[in-house]
Order: sequence, then C-alpha cells, then structure tokens
Amino acid sequence: MSYDFIETILFALLTLGIVGGALGVVFLNRITGSALLMAFTFLCNAGMFVLLGAETIAAFQVLIYVGAITVLVLYGVMFTPQQDRPYGLFFQKQTPWAALFVAPIGLFVALFAFSFRDGSHASAKGGDLVPLATSVFRDYAFPFEVASVLLLAAMIGAIVLVKRDDE
Amino acid sequence: MPLGPFGLDPAIWAVLRLLLAIVLAIAVVFNGALAQIYLERKVQAIIQDRVGPIHTGPWGLLQTFADAIKLLGKEDIRARLTDHWFFLAAPAIVFSPMLASFVVIPFAPGVVGADLNIGLLYLTTLGSMTVLGIVIAGWASNNKYSLIGGLRSAGQLISYEVPQILSLVTVVLVVGSLSLTQIVDSQPGVFINLLLLPLAFTTYFIAALAETNRNPFDLPEAESELVAGFLTEYSGMRWGLFFVAEYGEVTVVSSIVATLWFGGWHGPWTDIHPLLGPALGVLWFTLKTYFFVLVFMWIRATLPRFRIDQLMSLCWKFLIPVTLTNLLVTATLLLAFPTEKLPVAIANWILLVFFAAAVPYLQRRRLAAIRQRLATSRLALATADRPR
Repeated sequence: MSYDFIETILFALLTLGIVGGALGVVFLNRITGSALLMAFTFLCNAGMFVLLGAETIAAFQVLIYVGAITVLVLYGVMFTPQQDRPYGLFFQKQTPWAALFVAPIGLFVALFAFSFRDGSHASAKGGDLVPLATSVFRDYAFPFEVASVLLLAAMIGAIVLVKRDDE
Repeated sequence: MPLGPFGLDPAIWAVLRLLLAIVLAIAVVFNGALAQIYLERKVQAIIQDRVGPIHTGPWGLLQTFADAIKLLGKEDIRARLTDHWFFLAAPAIVFSPMLASFVVIPFAPGVVGADLNIGLLYLTTLGSMTVLGIVIAGWASNNKYSLIGGLRSAGQLISYEVPQILSLVTVVLVVGSLSLTQIVDSQPGVFINLLLLPLAFTTYFIAALAETNRNPFDLPEAESELVAGFLTEYSGMRWGLFFVAEYGEVTVVSSIVATLWFGGWHGPWTDIHPLLGPALGVLWFTLKTYFFVLVFMWIRATLPRFRIDQLMSLCWKFLIPVTLTNLLVTATLLLAFPTEKLPVAIANWILLVFFAAAVPYLQRRRLAAIRQRLATSRLALATADRPR
C-alpha cells in the first residue's frame, strides 16, 4: 500500500484554504478580518511551495508576507479613522465593473494554468536553496540588482513625500 | 514492504513520531516555563537581596506550580466590547510559532525533530509570525493601552528583526550552511564561533533581547506607562499562554545563541558511548541554553527600561550600521581568503573593540547636543519673558 494519496489530500486542503481565504478577504465586511484572512491565504500558499519542494521560497513567503506585509496592513488599518467618512469608501460596491475587468484576466490565467501537463518534479535532497541562490545571484544578477535599486528609489521617494517641510 | 524503526509500518511511525514530537515540545515548553519563572524569581531575589519564594515546597520549588494551577482555575473573563474571535485567537497565534521552533533545534547528535537545510531561516520566519499575534491582541482588546502596546511591539519587533537577521547571516556566511546541525558540526572542541565572530554575537544578543520583549526592551508591556500593554485585557490562562510563549521564545533564542556561537551540544565525553553520549550532549546543550536564560534574567534585574525613541535610534542608528559593516567586512574577507578563517576573526575582534570604544564617545556627543539645545531654549524663554 502506498501513501501517495497524502500529498493529494494536503493539496486539496491547501487549495480550499487559499480559495476560501481569498474569497473571505473579498467578501468580508470587516477590514481586520480581511487582513487576517490574507495572512492565512499567504500561509496556505507557503504550504503549496513546501509541497513543490521549494521550502526556501515558502520560508520567505511567510517571513515577508505574513510577518511583515500583513503587519504593515494592520498598522495602516489601525491608524486609519473609519468612523468619520462614508462606509462606501472602504468597501466598494461596483461589482459589475469589477467583473467586466476581472473576467478576461481570469480566462487568461485559467488557460495558462491548464497548459501545464506534467509537473516538474521537486529536486532531490539539498532543497531549492542552491538553485535559488544561483539563479538570483548569478544567472539573473542584473535584473535582481535593477529591481533592488528600483525598490530603494521607491523607498526614498516615499520618505521624501511624507516628510514634513518644517523639519 | 519497507519497515520503519521498531518494526513499525512507516505510515504509523510517521504519525507516532509527529505526536511524540508535539507532546515532547509541549512538555519542554511548559516545564521550561515553570522552571524559568522559578529561576527568574530566585535570581531577581538574590540580586535584589531578598529571599524569593520559600514557603511552598522545598526552597519554594512548588510555588510556580501553585501559580499555574491558580491561573488554570481562574474564570475566563472577556470584556463585552472585545473583538471575539481575534481576542481568542491572539494567544494561539503567539504560542504556536514558538512551539514549532523546537522542531529544528539540535539537542544532541541525532536528537533533532527535523534537520531542515534551511533551519535558521525557518527559525527567523517563525519568530516574525509572533508580531502578528501581538498586534491582533492589541487590536482585539479594544483598549487604548492594549492598542498602543501592540503597535509599539510591532514597530519594535520589525525594526530589531533587521540587525538580528544580519548578524545571523554573518555566521551563515562563515559556516556556509543554514542547517543548524551543520553549524554545530563546524565548531568542534574549543573552536567555537564566539572566538570567530564576537561582534555578530553581541549584536545578535542585543537584538534578541528586543525580539523577546525582555528588559530593557519590554516597552510593549511597560507597566509604568501602559498598564500591561497588549496584555491588559487578558486574564487567566490566556494571559498565561502569552507568558509561556515569552519564556519559550527566550529558550529558543538562548538555544540559537548556544548553537551558533557556543558549539551546541559539543562538550567533553559526548562520544564515549552510543547512548550515553547523546544524553550528555543534551545535558551540555541544556546547560549552555540555560546559562543564557540566566543572563537574560540578570540583565532584567540590572538595567532600566528604554524610552521608545531611544529604542528606535539604538536600532536604526547604531545596530543596523554596525551589523551592515560587519557583514560587508566578513563577506569581503571571505571572498579574499576563502579557506582561511583567521582574517575574519581578527577583523571581527577589531570591529568589536572599535564599536565598543565608540559608545562612550557617541554618548558624550549626544549629551552635549542635548545640553546645548536646552541652554538655547532656556535663553529664548528668558528673553521672551522679560518685561518690556
């Protein structure tokens, strides 16, 4: 008797988690609840990466998205006054327009997803750390550096924008 | 059909192993917390010239058990205007990543839950998840003090994560692996990493104090200004769970220090016997870990608390530049001398002495600037108040 079915069960559970969490983020009427469900979706995503044998990417996913981005979103939510402005500003109700724009993108994504036939098998012992490092720091070093300079520029720009003149 | 250990079916063994690991981790965490609370009281009592708990049991040993039973028996109070589910979930969100950290800690050769080859990354990842629970706890309590405590904690933890990870990266660069077992294997005998990277150790230790919300960085729960910070609305075992998580976090951080800089389970006589050796390894590892737990307590009894702006400027204006310099120098030297470790060690010691010597100088300059500002403002006040 083989135990390959466990992976399928895990995949199903994670899929349910991702789709359910994402739906909750969109449909929930409480902004903190949405933020927490977003963290949950990211966690399930990290689980998917583990199933694919990419545990380093899974760890970074949790470290950056759950540990930092969600906390920043919560920070933003807590510092935003919610009482003194119309409710509609926080929860938009323009479903038809949104559907119109999302549908073509969804179609494209679905077509792309079904174009995969054979999943590439996870690398054997040693994990994905070395392949990841070689691709980021050797094969794609230039785009990586360009992206980091871009992020640095964005960060400095944000600081300049919010800095008050009187200081 | 393949057979697992003890002649068991591999599937049954996998489930059994998981259960065993969870039970062991919970046992280690809860008993560790009880022992640490007792130690903390005794150590502080000794430092403050008191006797500490003495009445319950021999040397007051049963005092923390009595307190734990009291906590378990308390009524579970929840204020009406709290955010129900978040309020209940927050202690669990803080507790479970801490529990999961114990999977990768190598207690002895072969005594490790899972030898992940990204062990160190896994530990920092779990450490960063604690923030989420604390922010949620502060938000869900629907209380000003809790909210400010939670937000402070988020700012503090996110800031101090940077020097913490940068210090760890320095060790990873020198050892060449993220796996904790390989890091232990790389420092046999007396050649522990502390001799090689004392500056990384210092910066990591300071950042770890802040990450675990311990004195002098316990601003999120500063009693004198915030009641009890994000813990204000919690009582009974939910409150207890936060504290167990804090002590567990202290254990995890101390064991990281013991593993990375002090040779982990290495010690005398670890290879005399196939069964006795690992047991001795566990003993050495526990002793090293608890030494650092004791240092944490010593610091708590010695230092006053930081102010929030001092906390932030210590991190961003001192620790991060120091760790970045250290990382840069180490990486350059490792590129120049890939096989030699002596240049890295010399550079690290020089940097440590340099930065330690810079502290009093910086302090004097800062104080002079404050005095200058005070004097000018006083002068301005005096000229403004003069009657015409």
